[in-house]
Amino acid sequence: MPENKNKKVSGAEAIMMSLLNEGVDTVFGYPGGAIMPAYDALYDYRDRIRHVLVRHEQGASHAAEGYARVTGKPGVCLVTSGPGATNLVTGIADAIMDSVPIVCITGQVHKKALGTDAFQETDVIGITIPITKWNYQITNAEEIPRIFAKAFQIARSGRPGPVLIDITKNAQIDTFDYAYERIESTRSYTIITRPQDSEVDQAASLLNNAKRPFILVGHGVLISRAEEELRLLAEKGDIPVASTLLGLSAFPADHPLFVGMLGMHGNYAPNVLTNEADVILAVGMRFDDRVTGDLASYAKQAKIIHIEIDPAEINKSVQAEVALLSDAKEGLRALLPKLETKQRNEWKDEFKRLTEQEQEKVIEAEVNPQSGEIKMGEVVRLLSEKTKGEAIIVADVGQHQMMAARYYQYMKPDSYIASGGLGTMGFGLPAALGAKLGAPSREVVAIVGDGGFQMTLQELGTIAQEGLPVKTIILNNNFLGMVRQWQELFFDNRYSFVHLDNPDFVKIAEAFRVQAERVENRNDLSAALDRMLKSQKAYLLDIKVENEQNVFPMVPAGASISDIRLE
Amino acid sequence: MPSEKLHTLSVFSENSPGVLHRLTVIFTRRKLNIESLTVSETERKGVSRFTIVVRSDEDTILKVAKQLERIIEVLQVNVFSNGELLFKEIALYRVAADSPAKRSEIEEVARRYGAQMLNLSPSAVVLEKTGSEDDVNSLYLLLEPFGIREFVRSGRIAIAKNHG
Ligand SMILES: Cc1ncc(C[n+]2csc(CCOP(=O)(O)OP(=O)(O)O)c2C)c(N)n1
Repeated sequence: MPENKNKKVSGAEAIMMSLLNEGVDTVFGYPGGAIMPAYDALYDYRDRIRHVLVRHEQGASHAAEGYARVTGKPGVCLVTSGPGATNLVTGIADAIMDSVPIVCITGQVHKKALGTDAFQETDVIGITIPITKWNYQITNAEEIPRIFAKAFQIARSGRPGPVLIDITKNAQIDTFDYAYERIESTRSYTIITRPQDSEVDQAASLLNNAKRPFILVGHGVLISRAEEELRLLAEKGDIPVASTLLGLSAFPADHPLFVGMLGMHGNYAPNVLTNEADVILAVGMRFDDRVTGDLASYAKQAKIIHIEIDPAEINKSVQAEVALLSDAKEGLRALLPKLETKQRNEWKDEFKRLTEQEQEKVIEAEVNPQSGEIKMGEVVRLLSEKTKGEAIIVADVGQHQMMAARYYQYMKPDSYIASGGLGTMGFGLPAALGAKLGAPSREVVAIVGDGGFQMTLQELGTIAQEGLPVKTIILNNNFLGMVRQWQELFFDNRYSFVHLDNPDFVKIAEAFRVQAERVENRNDLSAALDRMLKSQKAYLLDIKVENEQNVFPMVPAGASISDIRLE
Repeated sequence: MPSEKLHTLSVFSENSPGVLHRLTVIFTRRKLNIESLTVSETERKGVSRFTIVVRSDEDTILKVAKQLERIIEVLQVNVFSNGELLFKEIALYRVAADSPAKRSEIEEVARRYGAQMLNLSPSAVVLEKTGSEDDVNSLYLLLEPFGIREFVRSGRIAIAKNHG
């Protein structure tokens, strides 16, 4: 811990000291003119702060997200003004959608040059107001400790999110007396984390009187570390549990009460039975339109209990009968002693029956194909078996993302990292390197499409330079597969600009000094996965999969979740 | 379509730069047009009050209010319909008056409608009216035949009828 005693330092050094005060040991960044004083100060802190030089600032933003998602600590980006800052925008927008705490530090031109179209001046505050939880421009060095304390507190507390601090060059250079104090709340920023007793009683009574209760869990359960409370509650009430895309891994996949994933490409039973449940307990999820389908026909028969920390999410899309404005962990903890022990075999059997249908019509052919080309699902299921469901899977966006969500059996929390709300292609590879830095003892496998991989593949350079044993699987179908699927199903087979003429990915990886191999035959798949997993270094597999495979089940856009299609 | 009407939002926030920008992006995202806006210091130190009038349906405005409350600098947001409020605005009218006869006619209108005469020049008079939007509009119609050279009105300022 650095000393908090007053000491005259430059703004740039104060940035480093503030980072240490917040427990930051890893920073993802890229230098440039307006942030050079900070980089000069960083030079003296190399032993305490690991700076990861990415290949594009978008990579820094996603890496910070990946790091935050597996550690629960804010990920930090350090970049220059103008293009450096604008390159962060996609990752910031991604982070606000998925409630990921990141702190972005951007250099800015000298205070005197603000507003004059100076070289590399961009109004990054203006640009990022709609996509940050908070942002602030520091123009005086003295502001640094207080604003950093506030920024980290805002990023990590309540519903987490991205925060941006823009620092003018003069504020990095000027000196002042440094003193750091953590901030817990401000006059205008306070968070309610505990539910009201009356609401807890009401919720408990709804659940105790329910015949067909159903628990829907989201990312909030992972963020608040409420996995254990969730499991105890589900078991006590014998209530089936389904997960949103971002809630995956909050509840063990092999648990008898786990019934799968909700939403557009989720499982059959949980989608259909959402519209049959009488009481729904929604925990740390926000009824995203990819989860609900047509709202007018969503869970109309059910009384909904919503445990949610963000007041703006309550009654936004779906009307709650009872709302517990609270942290997911606190809410579940309060509910647990009031819940009656039950047995609900008939209700559970309904899930089993529909799950069997999905198994027969979709899953079997996907994970155990006997002939034809390699299927995405079989790759994911085999990987799941070989890693005992204990790896961290970082997906990009597209069909492979849904396959990774559907067919990997997540056994440990924080194991499915993907861009949910924004659906950002290019997220996978950089987020995987951030996740590996955050959880070095866990196996991290990026599962990406041939399209999305090419949006950020330069981060192989970062992976190689940092010596990170990140494993990458390209599920290569030579198509922008998810878009192709929609064109096939909803646009009359008119394939409009979805075919990709790809480079040799193995050669590309090798050029970055990452070991790689191509897999084209089913017979080679298992051994190739073994070699990849055995390697202590970065490794890439380019796996040729069936070109025109579709992801099913599917709720067509705008349709009711009851109309989910199995084929 | 749910029915649209005028809503007044009282937004209390820290008095720091950029808050107005943060507020307006919430409206622009939903393509809501702000009918009027006033900002001032309040009786609490460092706290600003934004009075924002928007035409929208009730459901949308309640969601907007919660999103406004999510802004870090915002302390509190209240939503009112017209019936729950005491509200006023102020308007200035520059009216052509090139003869003494016309001038005394205008003076008569001003007197009847509770408007103040602020300034006389050889060719025009400036009137001030404080009242509801309707009061301001009615006076506008009465003055129009004389020739309105310039017209400006403040946004609404409002206070709840019942405190608490
Ligand atoms: C940055 C960005 N651009 C466009 C899209 C739209 N989009 C969603 S999925 C997809 C296709 C992805 O193709 P690929 O990476 O090959 O994965 P696949 O679906 O084939 O598994 C596209 C273009 C997006 N989500 N993100």
